[in-house]
Amino acid sequence: MTLNIAILIKLEPDFSEGNVSYNTDGTLNRAETKNTLGPHSTIAATAAFYSKVKYGAKISIGTMGPPVAESALQQAQQLCDADELHLYSDRIFAGADTLATAELLKAGIQKMQGKMDIVFSGHRASDGETGQTGPQTAWKLGFTFLGNVVDYEVNLQNQTIRAKRLIRLQGFYDVIEEIEAPLPVFIAIDPSYKAVFNNISHRLAYEKYQKEARLRAQNYKQYLKVFNAAELGVDSKKVGLAGSPTIVYKVERIPKGKANRQAEVVDGSNAEHMRKVIARLQEAMSGMVIK
Amino acid sequence: MTEGDYRHLYVIMEQEEGELLPVSLEMLGEARRLFDDFNKKHSSNEKVVAVILGYKIKEISKKLIEYGADAVISVDSPELRYVRNTIYTKVISQIASDKEAAKKIDEEYAGQFKRPRYMFFAADSIGRHLSSTVLAELESGLASDINKLVIEDIEITHQNKTGGKPLTYEKTLEMYRPDFSGFLWTTILCLDNRNSSIERDYHPQACSIIPGVFAPIEADSKRKGKIIEYVPTIEEQDLKVKMLSRKVIRSKVDFDSHKAIVSFGRGIKDSPEQNIKLIEQLANELDAEIGISLPISKKLFSLSPALDSKYIISDRVIGTSGRKVSPMLYVAIGISGAMQHIAGMKESEFVVAINSDENSLIKNECDLFIKGRMEDVIPVLIAELQKQKQVIQS
Repeated sequence: MTLNIAILIKLEPDFSEGNVSYNTDGTLNRAETKNTLGPHSTIAATAAFYSKVKYGAKISIGTMGPPVAESALQQAQQLCDADELHLYSDRIFAGADTLATAELLKAGIQKMQGKMDIVFSGHRASDGETGQTGPQTAWKLGFTFLGNVVDYEVNLQNQTIRAKRLIRLQGFYDVIEEIEAPLPVFIAIDPSYKAVFNNISHRLAYEKYQKEARLRAQNYKQYLKVFNAAELGVDSKKVGLAGSPTIVYKVERIPKGKANRQAEVVDGSNAEHMRKVIARLQEAMSGMVIK
Repeated sequence: MTEGDYRHLYVIMEQEEGELLPVSLEMLGEARRLFDDFNKKHSSNEKVVAVILGYKIKEISKKLIEYGADAVISVDSPELRYVRNTIYTKVISQIASDKEAAKKIDEEYAGQFKRPRYMFFAADSIGRHLSSTVLAELESGLASDINKLVIEDIEITHQNKTGGKPLTYEKTLEMYRPDFSGFLWTTILCLDNRNSSIERDYHPQACSIIPGVFAPIEADSKRKGKIIEYVPTIEEQDLKVKMLSRKVIRSKVDFDSHKAIVSFGRGIKDSPEQNIKLIEQLANELDAEIGISLPISKKLFSLSPALDSKYIISDRVIGTSGRKVSPMLYVAIGISGAMQHIAGMKESEFVVAINSDENSLIKNECDLFIKGRMEDVIPVLIAELQKQKQVIQS
């Protein structure tokens, strides 16, 4: 049997130096900032590619966004050699919160060829950063949700998956959990995920599919299907702004807090000043601070 | 909606093997402060309800009351020893829709109870996902990573929500969320649709709260509250995930046993690779651990794999989305001083900033501000420190 895999990705602002632009007040300049496949989407595509190499999985990729978001599909296809690319694009999808987005992505996944065994999403988007859309889509699909997955292996015979999850208990230690679950599952992949290919046949398959992926991505439009609301068959009251319980009420600059400390300003190019700095550092380290 | 349909604030606790995570008491503290004001303002008697799931957790309930809960709904079962998303989501959703449990909390309006008015979760590895699936099940709105909360009556004019007419939404939870830059606050509201073509209620109004932001209240052993031992319906199909093993790991990054911490931010941008190496040397001279700001963890710069894998990791992030530290000496290099970062280091004993921009926010948060480019300043510091060491040794 073939393992069917879906990946949900997102086109996001490119935060890398040279591509990102900030306003003078420190906020993101969206007009000047380029867009790219989100870093967490990249990891999700890499995790899916592991299944392509290891189990010969068939991969479908879906994204919601404006027409330009097809560039993210192309980038992701090049990473994982996908057979099917879906763009969900319609004016009425705009302004959706995570619940309304999950409703739409569920409908999208259900339009993909074959019954999905694993759906991958990134840990969170680098612009919205909620990390809610993945688990909410999983819940609407009725798939077991596994978050923070750092490693996984599929047992095709038993239709099960074993996964390691990294759980950060803030204020405590971290925990690595190993779990087993029957397919289908929805995985939000952890940022620290790395695919490892130990044997030669996997490395050969890796080369082969990578080459194929490059060729396919060059002709990605051949694999691309664009869906509007009607084609997806979604209830217009459940998607976009209309289907969103939450609204953004206001955006404001975080007010400057009152100065918590009185800084003494010294000139970094003045040798005398710098010798004094050293003395202060050493006082601080010895616990003899006089403020 | 009718008065009494939506009542109380349910706060979802987190614990590990019977020990509360700090964020649990922080959320309770903020819930207590909000609801003391709320009840006074509205002459009402709505409750802060702590909801806790786990195994062998009976001892904890009393503590939750001491820390501000009016009532505790506690579910104790071996199946709930570790957080598994499906069963946890089902049980919490059951509790949130349970009239009988609401009646035990408070008789008033209990027959009408549909859902909690508000719900809080922690914005961590557990609560982030749990809040998402619970609110998908309850089909209501959720805001993530909140660091300020206000309850107000708000007049709203919104195409979808009100059909373009001004309407007053009473007792609305304003959920403030700092964006990734740390400079902008977005206020998110969860509002019922009162536009006749898409009319529906959205309750609870829910959010996840950043750990480390709010202070717990002082424990008071005389506080009274109700403890409700809740027995949920657990179905076999919700227990599909089997726990095979669980291993505690401790981070290699050690902020606690070093006297000094040297941190860097976006200011390394002119020559990231060289600057990190300089910072490494300085940290070495000071016997300091190295931290980073949140933006740095987003892999802004292309670095050699050796530096990238050592330093550009989430374990090193200091701030609300990372660790809170309080060393004797904190050196902030090329860090602008966004609120998120300050929250993680403000308890430090002595703070030194190296920054070329005297207008940056970090100036308000440091004791010594070295004005200059890090490329120029750090080598001088390193040379001076080395010189002094030689003096001591000779």
